[in-house]
Amino acid sequence: MSRNILLHPTLPSSTQLVLRRAGYETLDDLSNASAEALSKELGIDISDSQSIITASQRPPGPALSQSLASLISRSQSLACSYAAVNTALGGGLPRGHILEISGPPGSFKETLALDYTRIFVEANEEVIFIDTQNMTSLATIKKTFHNSSAAADYQDLVRYTHLHTLPDLMLFIHNLLSEIHAKTGLLVLNSISFPFLSHPDIQSSKRTALLEKIHQVFLQASALNNLTIITTSQMSTKLLNADGSPGNFETGAKAVMVPQLGSTYLPAGRSYRLAIVPESRTTGQDKVH
Amino acid sequence: MRLASVVPLISAELVAALDHSCGIRTDTDLIFFGSSLDIIKRLPLGTVTLSDLQKFTELVAEQASVPGYRGDELLAGTARISEKHPQVSCGVKELDELVGGFGGSRVFEISGAKGSGKTALALQVVIQHLLSDADSCALWIDTSGDFSAEKTAQLVRHFDVAVSDKVLERLQVSLGFNIEAMHDVLEALRISLSSSRIVGPTVQWIVLDSITPLLLPSLSAVSSQGHAMMTTFMRRLRELARTFGITIMVINGTSTAAPFNQSSAFASTIRKPALGPSFTFMTDCTLWLSRMKDIPDPEGPFSVHVAEVFRSRATRSKTWCTFQIRYGVLSSTSDL
Repeated sequence: MSRNILLHPTLPSSTQLVLRRAGYETLDDLSNASAEALSKELGIDISDSQSIITASQRPPGPALSQSLASLISRSQSLACSYAAVNTALGGGLPRGHILEISGPPGSFKETLALDYTRIFVEANEEVIFIDTQNMTSLATIKKTFHNSSAAADYQDLVRYTHLHTLPDLMLFIHNLLSEIHAKTGLLVLNSISFPFLSHPDIQSSKRTALLEKIHQVFLQASALNNLTIITTSQMSTKLLNADGSPGNFETGAKAVMVPQLGSTYLPAGRSYRLAIVPESRTTGQDKVH
Repeated sequence: MRLASVVPLISAELVAALDHSCGIRTDTDLIFFGSSLDIIKRLPLGTVTLSDLQKFTELVAEQASVPGYRGDELLAGTARISEKHPQVSCGVKELDELVGGFGGSRVFEISGAKGSGKTALALQVVIQHLLSDADSCALWIDTSGDFSAEKTAQLVRHFDVAVSDKVLERLQVSLGFNIEAMHDVLEALRISLSSSRIVGPTVQWIVLDSITPLLLPSLSAVSSQGHAMMTTFMRRLRELARTFGITIMVINGTSTAAPFNQSSAFASTIRKPALGPSFTFMTDCTLWLSRMKDIPDPEGPFSVHVAEVFRSRATRSKTWCTFQIRYGVLSSTSDL
């Protein structure tokens, strides 16, 4: 059965074009050619033609799909030290999923993010910690690991950096997939909403495009590299009319607090959005939606 | 097809001579070069006679041509396939009648605005078929990360708790972020289906959840490359469906239609399927879903939707029906 060269998965597309122009259409044609004849005809090195022939005979890579049963069983849940959060998440945060923690200022978003950082470091995995508002200093991180069992090597495993502006954030997102490797387990974006605040006049279409880019990169990182992502977000007030439609200060009947960035940047099938509602200085409720 | 691959039937010296003096390497070169007389004039004397060259040209043309199929054999083939895999309802009888049953080796396009029930419909059709046929397997290709494994598992358990684990094994999920990755997935599927040692359930359903983000960025008004990519991809899907007897459902987004959509039976439809006017001709049936209203109910809130056929090869277009969705399960509006 002859297989079309142009659609073969292991040959690069430039090679496919050169072969096609010389008249090679199916893999059967290629299998009968020797390396010397191929190099003479295409005008390329003998080593290149040998690599083409071996590449065409290599069977295609591993299966690109997995069954639903294996998807559910694969993700192990990580339980943090706060029982209420674990119950809200249905047992714990599964690996390779994304958690957005939003709440008014002073709620324990950063503490929760640091708790997950500690869990990942104790499991000997690397954590990338991005701070955009200077709210989590190195001293705070040190205090988190003060009593932990991994106190010795947390400095090697936590990669910490500051980003303040929106272009910096987008550059980081752009380069994220090449930065992470097998050992990276967690990415914490402490206040993903803050860089967007410094550009309040950005057009909504541009803002949506940036959020979609973040969505794509998060999806690829969490699905293909099994990276768990935690983002924290401030909340903004949204005014609604009496019937529930969006309103403004004149017509609004009630105001609700919603996470600032909306849900465009989160892939719906693998994200959890946790909202923290403080009732007093030390207690509160949380809700997942 | 290179002439070198026909060598036992044509002598190797003739192939070498054709290449050397006329630059003829492939079958198209040979057939379209000119008459056999022109070729003989260019070849060195005594290589081949005119009648032999004509015979060889005919031979090459026959090798290069596509075999024909007899209509009655094709009909018998489809009857055999439909006997082996009987049609299963999607849950709404009127919807099955609209499209002539969700089955057969066809490519369906399901289009509609956000929240109109496209993913719910595709999921319900696939689950019903997986439950009824223990030998079948489905491939769900997710392009935007909206597929939630836990919610789908819950839906399967809702239908039938007993065999739900086995059903979950037979629903394969894969992610595709761009069109090249999609070609890889399809090629891998084709290779696995055509290898003679097939063990276990075979793939009979493919759902491509949202083809729009894959193809829309490359469609432009100034270049036809995007359109060519789209046509090639849809042709491959169609070929896959016909060769292996797979039903493929493609979910599509929407774009504006001003002042209103002419192919709809309702004057209130102001959107149309995305990817341009030619996309509907690349599939066998275009189904348009829209959400009419939400109704709170003591048993649970449900929403009423309208399904309309814009274009179909097997049934009439501009026909429509209503259905309702409660907690992700579709049902007919008549059984309230």
